[in-house]
Amino acid sequence: MSNPVTIIMIEDDEGHARLIERNIRRSGVNNEIKPFTNGTDALNYLFGADGSGIDHKGNALLILLDLNLPDTTGIDILRRVKENQYLKSAPVVVLTTTDDAQEIKRCYELGCNVYITKPVNYESFANAIRQLGLFFSVIQVPQVNS
Amino acid sequence: MTAEGLRRRAIGQIILLTVGFLVLVAISTTSVVLVNQAREASSRVVHTVEVENQLATLLLDIRRAESAARAYLLIGTPQFLTEHDTAVASIRPGMTKLRDLTNDNPVQVANSAKLSEAIEQRLTEFARAVEFVKNDDPAGGVAMLRQAGASDAVRDIRDISNAMRAEEDRLLDLRTKKADRTQEMASFVTIAGSALVILLAIVSMLLIRRSAGERDAAEARLRDNNLNLEATIEERTADLREANEEIQRFAYIVSHDLRSPLVNIMGFTSELQELRDDIFKRIATLSKAEASETPVLSASATADADDLGLHGPDKQLLQDFSEALGFIKSSIGKMDRLISAILNLTREGRREFKPVEINSRELIEGIAATVAHQAAETESTIRVEPLPTLVSDRLALEQIFGNLIDNALKYLKTGVPGEITIRGKMKLGFAIFEVADNGRGIDPQDHQRIFDLFRRAGTQDRQGQGIGLAHVRALVRRLGGTISVSSKLNEGSTFTITLPAKWTLSNRGKVE
Repeated sequence: MSNPVTIIMIEDDEGHARLIERNIRRSGVNNEIKPFTNGTDALNYLFGADGSGIDHKGNALLILLDLNLPDTTGIDILRRVKENQYLKSAPVVVLTTTDDAQEIKRCYELGCNVYITKPVNYESFANAIRQLGLFFSVIQVPQVNS
Repeated sequence: MTAEGLRRRAIGQIILLTVGFLVLVAISTTSVVLVNQAREASSRVVHTVEVENQLATLLLDIRRAESAARAYLLIGTPQFLTEHDTAVASIRPGMTKLRDLTNDNPVQVANSAKLSEAIEQRLTEFARAVEFVKNDDPAGGVAMLRQAGASDAVRDIRDISNAMRAEEDRLLDLRTKKADRTQEMASFVTIAGSALVILLAIVSMLLIRRSAGERDAAEARLRDNNLNLEATIEERTADLREANEEIQRFAYIVSHDLRSPLVNIMGFTSELQELRDDIFKRIATLSKAEASETPVLSASATADADDLGLHGPDKQLLQDFSEALGFIKSSIGKMDRLISAILNLTREGRREFKPVEINSRELIEGIAATVAHQAAETESTIRVEPLPTLVSDRLALEQIFGNLIDNALKYLKTGVPGEITIRGKMKLGFAIFEVADNGRGIDPQDHQRIFDLFRRAGTQDRQGQGIGLAHVRALVRRLGGTISVSSKLNEGSTFTITLPAKWTLSNRGKVE
């Protein structure tokens, strides 16, 4: 891979962020992780100053998204990412406490690739993240060359 | 309008009608009386005219007799004598008739007596003059008559007849006036009475119209009130529904938000656990190095005092550490279960009910089959008697009976195999179910408490969050029914559930 995958982690809870990061590392994934604690910063980074997202043309991204954010909803970020021509091919993993069936359905409809509910049970949680790490290592993040 | 006012109005109308009727009666009576009076008055007038007429006839007869007598005296033809006799013959009956006619008036009686006397005197004079002629002494008769021409009798006759005429004229005038007055009064009374009756009729019509108007207004107000009431009820129902939804949303959000920090607490507690393992491994290594022994570390990930070979205060430290972590983890687990329960409850509260026809016996037998394993473990039996068929929400009924049967199996009397009986019947459009057991029972003072969320009763030796019965009650209420319990400690419990036989969507929106 000429362009290593960057993991964009949008998670307002720093504790969660830390736990996620730790468990990703433990699963042997050493890609760069860019943490964001609110939606606005994440959107600014993703879409750049002009809001077109052209900055990330050709970059391989993977987005870890929490749905409950202080300033915007994760759903909104998901929709905008999936509507953007440069970002829509980046896999989005929704990782959140919400386990409402409607919400899950909506996320998949909007183009979310994986939906994971954060279990309170830490073993399950760690396990889920490690699985995700395995998943990261096997998936091919498409190169956006067009 | 108050009842008092209505009664007053009714009485007023009755009085009005009575007054109108009385006025009519009075008018009729007065009219009859006045008409009679008028008739009498006019008959009196006629009488007076008759009297005058008679008087005139009488005077004419006297004049005729007088002129016949004079002619007889002058000419001596017997034809005049006959004429005189005829006239004289009609004078006396005429006088009698006049007297009869005037005997109602003392003045006229006196006058006619005087007139009669004067006439008699005059007739005597005529008779004497006639005698002179018969005795062939016309000159004597003429002289006598000449003398008598200026006599009192002639004057008297003239004066009295004048007086009588004057009297009759006066009476005529009087009576005519009286007759006029009577007639005037009669017409006045009739007109006034009619006017009064018309007035009363108008007043009563106005009153009726006003009361009719008021009634219409009251009816309109009633209709408005009804509409308002319905609107108000709808509004309130909408408000309540909104409040209910708000609470559910709130509970949903809160439970989610509570979960988020819980993930951290749990996560970092587990991290601490790993740290603990590392720390105590190091302590073990160090203390063993101090004791100049080759450290043999267990491959086990879990820190066990014996495995690590810790002794004395180090062992105690590890035990305390583990105990603290254990409490934290079990508390987190409990809290997580509570939050999950709240989430499930709010999810249930938001679920739409679908009324379908349900054979409740089949449904409950299905539930009994799913808990057959549990029942077999405790040698309990579940007996399902014939049960009614009703229209309700299937899932809700499954949850209601599932919870109750589950509870019955869970809280058995120690050492006594459970006997659970489900009975049912239809009564007045309601299906009544009874779930009876021979379990440990519930203290009567806890009967209300057991239906509250997160509250439990009796010996706490079974897993549970205190949600089952709260959930059951919420469901039963949403289905428009009621649930009650009758039980005593150690004597089993009977839960009675009353559900409408036909639950429709219109019952929806009932506040839980």
